[in-house]
Amino acid sequence: MSASKQVEDAVFFTALNLTDLGQRKLFLDQACAGNPGLRAAVEDLLAAQGDAEHFIAKGRAALHLPTEAFASGMATGADEPTRLDEEIGTRVGRYKLLQRIGEGGCGVVYMAEQEEPVHRRVALKVIKLGMDTKSVIARFDAERQALALMDHPNIARVLDAGATEAGRPYFVMELVRGVRITEYCDQNHLDTRQRLELFIQACHAIQHAHHKGVVHRDIKPSNILVTMHDGVPVPKVIDFGIAKAIEGKLTEHTLFTAYEQLVGTPAYMSPEQAEMSGLDVDTRSDIYSLGVLLYELLTGRTPFDGKELMKSGLDQMRRTLREKEPQRPSNILTTLHGTELKATAEHRHAEAPKLISLLKGDLDWIVMKALEKDRARRYETANGLAMDVERYLLNEPVVARPPSRLYRFQKLVRRNKLVFASGAAVSLALVIGLGVSTVLFLKEKEAWREQARLREEAQRSQQRENELRLQAEAKEKINQAAIYVSQERFDEADQLLETIKTLPPKPSFDGVNAYRSVGEWLALQGRWREAANRFLPLMQIDRLDEWRVVTLDYQACGAVLAECGDRERYAQFCQTAVINYGATTNGDMAGRILKTCLLMPPGKDLMAQLRLMAEVADQYFAPIPEKDFPEWAVIHLSLWDYRQSNYGQAEAWGQRLAGRGKGTALEATARVIMAMSCYKSGQAEEARGELAQGRALIEGKFKAGLDHGNGADGFWFDWIFARLLLREADGLLGA
Amino acid sequence: MSEITLVLQAIGRGESKASEDLLPLVYDALRRLAGARMAHEAAGQTLQPTALVHEAWLQLVSAGERSWQNRAHFFGAAADAMRRILIDKARRKSRLKRGAGQARLDIDDLELAQTTPDDNVLLINEALEKLEREDPEQARVVVLKFFGGLNNQEVAENMGLSLRTVERQWACAKGRLFRWVRAQH
Repeated sequence: MSASKQVEDAVFFTALNLTDLGQRKLFLDQACAGNPGLRAAVEDLLAAQGDAEHFIAKGRAALHLPTEAFASGMATGADEPTRLDEEIGTRVGRYKLLQRIGEGGCGVVYMAEQEEPVHRRVALKVIKLGMDTKSVIARFDAERQALALMDHPNIARVLDAGATEAGRPYFVMELVRGVRITEYCDQNHLDTRQRLELFIQACHAIQHAHHKGVVHRDIKPSNILVTMHDGVPVPKVIDFGIAKAIEGKLTEHTLFTAYEQLVGTPAYMSPEQAEMSGLDVDTRSDIYSLGVLLYELLTGRTPFDGKELMKSGLDQMRRTLREKEPQRPSNILTTLHGTELKATAEHRHAEAPKLISLLKGDLDWIVMKALEKDRARRYETANGLAMDVERYLLNEPVVARPPSRLYRFQKLVRRNKLVFASGAAVSLALVIGLGVSTVLFLKEKEAWREQARLREEAQRSQQRENELRLQAEAKEKINQAAIYVSQERFDEADQLLETIKTLPPKPSFDGVNAYRSVGEWLALQGRWREAANRFLPLMQIDRLDEWRVVTLDYQACGAVLAECGDRERYAQFCQTAVINYGATTNGDMAGRILKTCLLMPPGKDLMAQLRLMAEVADQYFAPIPEKDFPEWAVIHLSLWDYRQSNYGQAEAWGQRLAGRGKGTALEATARVIMAMSCYKSGQAEEARGELAQGRALIEGKFKAGLDHGNGADGFWFDWIFARLLLREADGLLGA
Repeated sequence: MSEITLVLQAIGRGESKASEDLLPLVYDALRRLAGARMAHEAAGQTLQPTALVHEAWLQLVSAGERSWQNRAHFFGAAADAMRRILIDKARRKSRLKRGAGQARLDIDDLELAQTTPDDNVLLINEALEKLEREDPEQARVVVLKFFGGLNNQEVAENMGLSLRTVERQWACAKGRLFRWVRAQH
């Protein structure tokens, strides 16, 4: 065989087993990296897979065609058996029919008497359909040896098989006088624990059979009868080997009606049995049916309703069994109507809410594990299932686990491991070296990375959600504060704003104004720190205001921070200002920010950062003709020169500005700057004169009481600026 | 003691030539059995290859002489026999349908979508012959499953492979056989 074929097969089969298309693509990307030919071949196989199945199935159908092919012309007329019942008292083989004791989906059961070699009573089951008797018996014979090996107190032995005179197959079994397990439990109001104990015994019986190589294939309540033995209920599993013997009819040709007659209800059928795709049904199919039984014992119903499955038609039934996740036992109880739920609970000697909470968790997961669609994910043995139930009864942790997201990922990884652990992977690894293990490693890593990413995402979105909620709350509060402000209830507005920790990114104009107004109200009372807390948020938010308003807020904020004497916060504020407006080309705006950042003696770094803004401001104001010159707006020019130690220049600007705005904050500020400039340049006398004039203006203003002010005489923060510089000058000249 | 039992015992003793002797014996047995059954079976009854093989096995080997190891040989040979029988049957039917003049189905003339199940068997057999040259193990799985009617577990036991390998070989074989057939039509 060619190596390339082997690789192609292995990659195809692995991809085929990855039912998640995303995973499949990821796998193909990695496995076929650099080999587009391989990719194309595998994609082609995958794409044609459905057609291929159909094609082969069609071929197989030909193998089941009428037997005339072997001996054409030999067929005789149909002799369909018309009567179903054997006469009581007649003999069937060496058995004498005594009494009809039941009729199941596939046959009529009689109590019969055997005379030889031992005299005993037996159950004799005559299969209903006019079937291929010989092959049924042949199949039974093939299994007979294995059946004979079974010896278990919970298994009713199958003793014999044969054909009636009418040509129908019959089976002879140990006679079991009992009622079906579900009926027994309900009639005796067994509680959940007692039910589980019976169930465990049934599991052990099935395990024994599996151990002897016998698969039951038709586990359902009517095949597990409970009989009393010394007052103790003993479950007995009947009909071993029979389903297999008549299965030829089930798997071939599969007319739905025939199925209905034979099996009765598909509610207990495993997905792979329902597929009827081949003869490939193994012990894990019995595990599934045991899961259905457990489901019914606990809840009183099967995961899927048998009648509905039947009604839905064969294809839909298969799809349901293959794809639809059944409701968890605890869940299905909550969907029951009141009276129904009450009856179900009463049968289990419990109250409804208690029963639900009893099932929730471990029992749910045990049942769901047994009912896995993929048989590889079920309990591996009936014993495994029984042990998990026992663990539950002993309050030990069970093996079955809820399918959390993490668990599903683990399962995904495990599933893929299985895919890779096959012989294919081994030979593939030999052929392409590191390929497979790398792919496996990557896949596992990928799964964990994906898991981590999802967790992070979840956290992020939770944070985000939290943030949005807080923002919405904040917006509400801000709006309320704006209303208080409009009513001049500043105190209440302040208290409300104090509670806001997260700012909405775009508060309304009124909201911004509320912050500003409350900040100012606090500042005018000299509550600088609190005022700073109101102005600072305005620096953080994305503002829709016009720059003139924005820069006023900056000046107010800078003023209160400097007034607090909080150098650190002021320095931070300056940084924010530089970051936000350092690159502005608006000279007027640059001037305002510049002034605000120079209220306290700046460090070298800040001076360097401010230089660009100073140049922009200079270029803006320099060309303005003298008669139009806005002196009130250029105090920064004087201050900038002073901070740069250009004392002559600073003094000259000061003279010019002081003459312009008599009695205003501008004059006061200009005189204070002049005083410091004169002092620095050795003119102490002049310095003192300017300082006295400035001080008179400033002290007069604060004595009269600070108010909001206006652009012409100076806003409240303009006077704060003046007083800040006055203090600096006092410090300088006094020294 | 039947001839088959003797051959099986020879196989059990490790005589390699014995395996080759088995097929014609099984073939004859199956033919005889199928023909004999017809007298009692109703028209429209279907004949399951597995059932036939099981039956042949049961009739030819008495209970006391059963050897499960030889059973595997028997089923392998039976699958080959069934293949021959079924291919013959399909050819005959296909010929009947297409008129007596045509000795053999001309596969090249077939439109894939219009094939009957019998045509499919012939097409599959043709493709299977190719697969036998390319990947004998995979082809063997097809013979046992498709013609012999064995299930995966039985194939695994028969060929000494893991169940997983059988599943893989079967899945891949189906895709390949179909691809070959499709490529020709």
